[in-house]
Amino acid sequence: MPSSIHGFDTKSEGTSTASEASPRIAPDKPALEARPPGAPHRPTRPWWIDVWVRMLTGKPLGTIGGVIVVGMLTAAVLADWIAPYGYAQTSLRARFIAMSAAHWLGTDELGRDLLTRLIYGARISLYVGFGAIAIGSVLATLIGIVSGYLGGRFDLLVQRGVDAWMAFPPLLLLLSIMSLLGPSVWNITIVLGVAFGIQNSRVVRGVALLVKEHTFVESARALGAGHVRTTLTHILPNVMPTIIVVATTGLSTVILTEASLSFLGLGVPPPYPTWGGMLSLAGLDHMYRAPWLAIWPAVALSLAVFGFNMLGDALRDLLDPRLKGG
Amino acid sequence: MKRYLLRRLALAIPTLFLVSVLVFALMRLMPGDVATRMVEGHAYAPTLAALRHDLGLDRPVHTQYLEWIGGIVTRGDFGRSYWTRQPILEEFMRRFPVTLELAFLTIVVSVVLGVLVGIVSAVRQDSVSDYVGRILAILALSIPYFGLAVLVVVLPSIWFKWTPVWSYVPFTTDPLENLKIMLVPAVVFGVTRAGPVMRIMRSALLEVLRQDYIRTAWSKGLAERPIILRHALKNAMIPVISLIGLQMPLYIGGSVIIESIFRLPGVGLFFFEALTRLDYPVVQSVNLIIAALVVGLNLLIDLSYAFLDPRIRY
Repeated sequence: MPSSIHGFDTKSEGTSTASEASPRIAPDKPALEARPPGAPHRPTRPWWIDVWVRMLTGKPLGTIGGVIVVGMLTAAVLADWIAPYGYAQTSLRARFIAMSAAHWLGTDELGRDLLTRLIYGARISLYVGFGAIAIGSVLATLIGIVSGYLGGRFDLLVQRGVDAWMAFPPLLLLLSIMSLLGPSVWNITIVLGVAFGIQNSRVVRGVALLVKEHTFVESARALGAGHVRTTLTHILPNVMPTIIVVATTGLSTVILTEASLSFLGLGVPPPYPTWGGMLSLAGLDHMYRAPWLAIWPAVALSLAVFGFNMLGDALRDLLDPRLKGG
Repeated sequence: MKRYLLRRLALAIPTLFLVSVLVFALMRLMPGDVATRMVEGHAYAPTLAALRHDLGLDRPVHTQYLEWIGGIVTRGDFGRSYWTRQPILEEFMRRFPVTLELAFLTIVVSVVLGVLVGIVSAVRQDSVSDYVGRILAILALSIPYFGLAVLVVVLPSIWFKWTPVWSYVPFTTDPLENLKIMLVPAVVFGVTRAGPVMRIMRSALLEVLRQDYIRTAWSKGLAERPIILRHALKNAMIPVISLIGLQMPLYIGGSVIIESIFRLPGVGLFFFEALTRLDYPVVQSVNLIIAALVVGLNLLIDLSYAFLDPRIRY
């Protein structure tokens, strides 16, 4: 049944939607909106509600991803109420207990409950993930729009800086910075945010360059709108769908990067539980005794990445078909 | 072609200059003092000031930068480690083959898996095997490679009493033993990277199969196998190659983690050990060398397009 796997079909749909997408551009409409062939267009519904309706009806994998993400969010928000123990609550009598009624997923080398730590781990992952994405999106938008809109020598200079940044393997650069700043929740959020922002400013700039060429920008300028007004009221709304897409698809990457930094001991410091930190290199010896210490964090991390990937992919298909790729 | 090459090389110089400034500035502007640690924890010198003078840390920052970059440009001297006083380039060259081999095997694994599954998925589009392939690709994308690596190290040793080989043997000493050691890390890393390769392969091949020259091949009466393998595949490989090029930094970054899990004495482990000891010159120089390699590799990949698709000319 083709429609059941519609969510990650990259090709068959891409060609048809791209040609049917009408490049109607007005500040209250996303510039790059495309609807699947045959789907009725309902102009009465605001686009940001319409997206979710179309996701629920046409993107089953995106919906599954959404459910996982909502589940994670719930766990993170309600952690204090649903977690059976405290995340740093140790018990010497309950070390290395396998899965049991008292400890559903077992305990670790200090007798801390694994389920509790996984639930609180969701909180830290999301906290760092959303924080970094928020910082990064603002930064990417700022650099991208200003660089693309102003163009000329300024653009050239900024883009060479971005080139230099992108020449590094991201993990090496992030590790270098984190080792100097020292592990902390704030540091890793800011560092990941800045890295995300610089990297994705290129995508935003690309879209800004395209939007800039439209006649409505020219007419706004001709009517006497200043540069600030033009960018805020005409360029920004049309770049917005791209930013949303980049941000959602970036979430899984940011969460994964936080996990790998914590894995190496340079992300979120103990005693905060993080999935990467729980898998960590330092705890490898304990895992031979208690394999569940390795299994559950890995499962949680994979589920989260899967959820954010699927949700991001579906949103990308619905919001900005031009970014479609592998 | 020659002009294009020269232009690209000329563009690489300012990029690398900015890279060197960036990495140097990062190392110097941030808190964290190697000298304190070396004196207090390890008694490398009687006093802090003496050690700072020894390491040249008491000189102005721009002098230090010029010294570092000057040594690289004029003498190919990347400096010495603070802790071991060994030349960095020598150590890098000694360890680089390990990382290179790991990256190479990883790419082989991910490309072979990804391309095979991708071809089946594209040729039998919307069949059961297509869905199975796509679901596998999504699973591969979701599992973090270090999570899989930890599971592969831990679980078989508990259940089957099997552990990966820990003591590293260079390829030149005993190729077979070396491959046995490298195989597990390369497969673990390669499997998790095969997902994107498969997805790109599938969509690229689907697009190529709809082109006119493929229709011509069909109407000439060619069989399916030569059409796909000889006519379509070569063109469809272009996005796959650019993906690998784009992911090259990921392979190198990932080697830090893979090498520290499997205890392979490669550049990644060298870098990570230097990092934990705040060994600035090593961190700086390794970053710079790798960035230069990435820039060079991207150029090679751009050049390979002309070989894969004769319509592309520079």
